[in-house]
Amino acid sequence: MAILGTFAFEEDFLTAAKNLTSSGFDRISLMSPIPVEEAQEIVGLHKSRVRHFSLAGAIIGCIGGFAMAVGTALVFILPTGGRAIITIPPFLIITYEMTILFGVLFTLLGFHFVSGLPAWKDRPYVISASVDRFVVVVEGTTGEQAAKAEAIIRDAGAEEIQHVEDSQ
Amino acid sequence: MFDHGQPTYAEVNKDIISTMLETGPKYWILLGSTMSLAGIFFFMPWIYQLFVGVGAAGMNRNAVWGTYLSNFIFWIGLSHSGTLLSAVLHITNSPWRKSIYRSAEAMTLFSLITAALFVMVHVGRVWFVHWSFPIPNQMGLWPNFRSPLMFDVMAITTYLTASSIFIYMGSVPDFAAVRDASTGVRRRLYAVFSFGWRGTAREWHTLGWAYTFFAVFVIPLAVSVHSIVSWDFALSAVPGFHHTIFAPYFVTGAIYSGTAGIVTVMYCLRKFLNFERYIGQVHLDSLGKLLIALSLIWSYINVLELFTTWYGGSSFELEALSFRMTGFYAPLYWEMILFCAFVPLLMLTRKIRWSWNKMLVISILINIGMLTERFIIVATSQPRKFLPDAFGFYVPSWIEISITIGSFGIFMTLFLIFIKWVPSISIYEVKETLKPLRRDA
Repeated sequence: MAILGTFAFEEDFLTAAKNLTSSGFDRISLMSPIPVEEAQEIVGLHKSRVRHFSLAGAIIGCIGGFAMAVGTALVFILPTGGRAIITIPPFLIITYEMTILFGVLFTLLGFHFVSGLPAWKDRPYVISASVDRFVVVVEGTTGEQAAKAEAIIRDAGAEEIQHVEDSQ
Repeated sequence: MFDHGQPTYAEVNKDIISTMLETGPKYWILLGSTMSLAGIFFFMPWIYQLFVGVGAAGMNRNAVWGTYLSNFIFWIGLSHSGTLLSAVLHITNSPWRKSIYRSAEAMTLFSLITAALFVMVHVGRVWFVHWSFPIPNQMGLWPNFRSPLMFDVMAITTYLTASSIFIYMGSVPDFAAVRDASTGVRRRLYAVFSFGWRGTAREWHTLGWAYTFFAVFVIPLAVSVHSIVSWDFALSAVPGFHHTIFAPYFVTGAIYSGTAGIVTVMYCLRKFLNFERYIGQVHLDSLGKLLIALSLIWSYINVLELFTTWYGGSSFELEALSFRMTGFYAPLYWEMILFCAFVPLLMLTRKIRWSWNKMLVISILINIGMLTERFIIVATSQPRKFLPDAFGFYVPSWIEISITIGSFGIFMTLFLIFIKWVPSISIYEVKETLKPLRRDA
């Protein structure tokens, strides 16, 4: 079972989140209409793994872009005015563009991988979280634990508490 | 930041999403008009040209590049400020970016699409356009990556891809807000668009990092794109083209016309979508100051071009310059100087910089000047290379003029469709500029 606490104020929401984590609840989701840096720190988010994807993409694009320019020049030899077949300065421009292209594509991949999106399955959610409410969700609790979580959320000043099914 | 009082979070959602959900007859009339403009002026002449060949255009043996390519540069240039400005202002954490960047990024995307269409119109046999991509084929044919035209293909493809991803990823939380405010098919559609976004700390954190990386990638990309477009010209030994200053000249011109384009688009959004509350004096003033700075840089580069041509002393370059300033197209040259170097100086006075109507007129004049600049570069240099007995002349045909007019119809149509599908102001970023939802606030 999941418990959803809806808050009108940011500090109440953060208090509930802090108290829940210090009480040992680890399946917590904190939803907000805007990014809240403190909420990210409470759930232990610091440097994102997205940066590894960006770096990997840029390196792959850099090597791949140069290899593509050289490879196609060798496969389809086009002598022009006695110039070299493998010409570094123009190929560096292709390399530059491919570095950026693959950097962007891998960053996108990284976003999906790290955030777990797309996720179109049913998950605990309150529509007002995209408007002006802050929501704390505690999942995987039953019995005494659920009552304890609910008490923490209520004490922090939740304006509404709901019991819903856990994420599928 | 807000001219008519601070809205609440709920009001921000309502104000912005209602422009998507509520559509009156005025919108459909406008959309019908822009679609007709695109259909009649752009696509019909293009179809005619496809049947009779590119000879229908005014291009000839000495002028193998014409209005299509000058328009291509214009639209690529117009695309420049959107994504570039948005990325730079994101990295520097400027609050005035938040109300205007989404539409500016859309402008980038649609300008790029329009520019790409001009390449297709220019090449004639558009059904072979895929030959310019490195795709394995039965002929064993591969692109020549030593050609600046191939740099262009790679740069513009990358820019189009990166700009699309940049605008889409920035819109994901807002798609979720639209999903939550709608019902039926629209709700299901936006559930797909938003990837099932819930606004959790992890999602915000990942988006923040990814978005910053997108911005970091996009800035050098945008600079490279117009530099590469300039090399289409500067890497050839044509008098009037062969200048080392061309890359910064094109990049500055691009950002300049793009910023003027943003002013025009912001005026329309403010007027027709009633965004007076979100797009205010601070935005107009900041854009006005940016335009003044850009006009000064642009003027400096123009003076530098004159100086280096004179100081270099090449008779071919001097002849090209003389034709540009005193020849058949001289009135267009001086119109460009007037609109792009002198008219923007009016913005030095706050009275003009703070007036939406005056700024609209100035922004349109700047873009007329920039469109002319691109035309002059193409039309006065290439037909008059080196030997006078080989001099030609270029005048656009009615088909080229019609297609030029029609391209504005394509851009406006795409923009009108955009405002009904994507929140034209970033909902969550506007909320970030409001007072936080705290007891003490």
